[in-house]
Amino acid sequence: MDEEKKLTRKKNIIYSAVSVLFLCILLFPLYWALITSLKTEQEIFQNPPTFYPHVLNLKSYAAQVETGDFNMFRSFANSFLISLGATGIAVVLAVPASYGIAKYRFRARKLMLLSFLVTQMLPVSVLLTPMFIMFKNMHVYNTWIAAVLADATIGIPFSVLILKNYFASIPKDLEEAAYLDGCNKFTAFVRILIPIAKPGVMVCAIFSFLYAWGDLAYGMTFILDQEKRPITAGIFNFMGQYGTKWSYLTAFAVVTIIPVALIFIFMQKYIVSGMTSGAVKG
Amino acid sequence: MGKVKKMFRYDNAGVLFVLPAFIYMLVFVGYPIIRNIILSFQDVSAGNLVRGVKNFIFFDNYLELFQDSVFRTSLFNTLRYTVLCLVFQFVIGFALALFFNRRFSFAKPVRGILLVPWMIPVTVTALMFKLLFATDIGVINYILRSFHLINKNIEWLTTPQTAMFALICANVWIGIPFNMILISTGLTTIPKELYESASIDGANKTQTFFSITLPLLKPTIESVLILGFIYTFKVYDLVYVMTSGGPVNSTHMLSTYSYKLSFEMFKYSKGSAVANVLLVILLVVGVFYIKATTKGEEA
Repeated sequence: MDEEKKLTRKKNIIYSAVSVLFLCILLFPLYWALITSLKTEQEIFQNPPTFYPHVLNLKSYAAQVETGDFNMFRSFANSFLISLGATGIAVVLAVPASYGIAKYRFRARKLMLLSFLVTQMLPVSVLLTPMFIMFKNMHVYNTWIAAVLADATIGIPFSVLILKNYFASIPKDLEEAAYLDGCNKFTAFVRILIPIAKPGVMVCAIFSFLYAWGDLAYGMTFILDQEKRPITAGIFNFMGQYGTKWSYLTAFAVVTIIPVALIFIFMQKYIVSGMTSGAVKG
Repeated sequence: MGKVKKMFRYDNAGVLFVLPAFIYMLVFVGYPIIRNIILSFQDVSAGNLVRGVKNFIFFDNYLELFQDSVFRTSLFNTLRYTVLCLVFQFVIGFALALFFNRRFSFAKPVRGILLVPWMIPVTVTALMFKLLFATDIGVINYILRSFHLINKNIEWLTTPQTAMFALICANVWIGIPFNMILISTGLTTIPKELYESASIDGANKTQTFFSITLPLLKPTIESVLILGFIYTFKVYDLVYVMTSGGPVNSTHMLSTYSYKLSFEMFKYSKGSAVANVLLVILLVVGVFYIKATTKGEEA
């Protein structure tokens, strides 16, 4: 695959060291946010700055549990609920849709495929006001349902485009064998094809979740009350009100990153496969 | 023995599988797009948004935009921001992809961890860069000061030019992993033998790069740049959280200006018109993207 000849021992060490240097530079913003959340306000304003917390301060996290207005753990729960809901809708709708597109030819197939492609590149600005009106009329404005419905529109097209490749790569013979065993179109899809495409389904679920988790515009526009808003909107509001309370703000940021970090640690291979499929946002 | 096995069949039953997702998108995306176009031809403010009479004023909103200096700034900013972000994230991503293409022990794991910035919610990224670029406690000012490059702290986010620079830095940070991983994947598709025969022919590294690597990566490079353009051009959260378009509207993008018009000034119709300008530009670029992605597709 890569360079044919193995690198010499010396080169190996040099390259590895350089790669770690790159890593440290690129991940520095994350490190800085983490240690800022663990410093006291006093230490944050110290000059020269400290590159690790000299006095460990966990108050920024603890305080948020107690205070009512900007309770980040409640925002976290809101985000979780919204993201799970959006992921659920995206997966349930996108799995059959991608199967239909991959395995059948019918009228309007191209049009449908094209429309999923186009929705991938829509800016949120185009959708915000009309969705706002629609959700008001549906009486779901200012509830988590509005955010779920809106966030699912990001996950669905992405999932359809990714999964259709998975389904297309499954040989026809498997389906035909299922028909011989007495399956119909629907049961063959549920019992045979979905289990085989499971890694693809995982990719879709993870990315739908991540897109919803990272959303700010929908959560902020369609949910008015702070206590119902997702964590990203919580951060934004908090910034507006306590602009320079960096210990609290970074604590907020760290908590927001936790699920992302967990997904990364345990499901890295799905991330790489999702990103390289070419349908992802950059 | 004759019969080619088809991977698919002509059967209108297939539409039943696609229909639920399609209808969902039609209701929650298709209808809003139409509605947004209509809205941009009307005169809608907070009073008549949900109920009430909406007067058609046709192209007045659009004509008004071209008189609007903030709109012109936003359009120019969006273009400038997109181009600069693309250049930097592409060059750095490409360089890293080439570097990690070598076979050293840390190559795969470290490259994996470098994907993290792409996954972080953009709101958090914006917050982190706001902290780095902060005037008094910002670590960037501290570093510049300690190397004696500046003797007075720069007010990064409250000066127009430097605010734009900070935004670009943050976006490049998000874009590097995306460029790197796609180019890395592209590199693995280049057959090894080509490099071997090139080295037998006595080509040096620069020659091989320009005559083998670059031409063979062309499809990858195209799709990375087109996708990068689309997703950078519609930037919203990053700018909204870091500068909210300020100072004095100097860093507004089309998306943030549209949001401001609609949800802060309640000029919904004018906001919709800005969003539609954004949409049209994206669709034009999107045609290239669709051509590239459907090239291999069966008829």
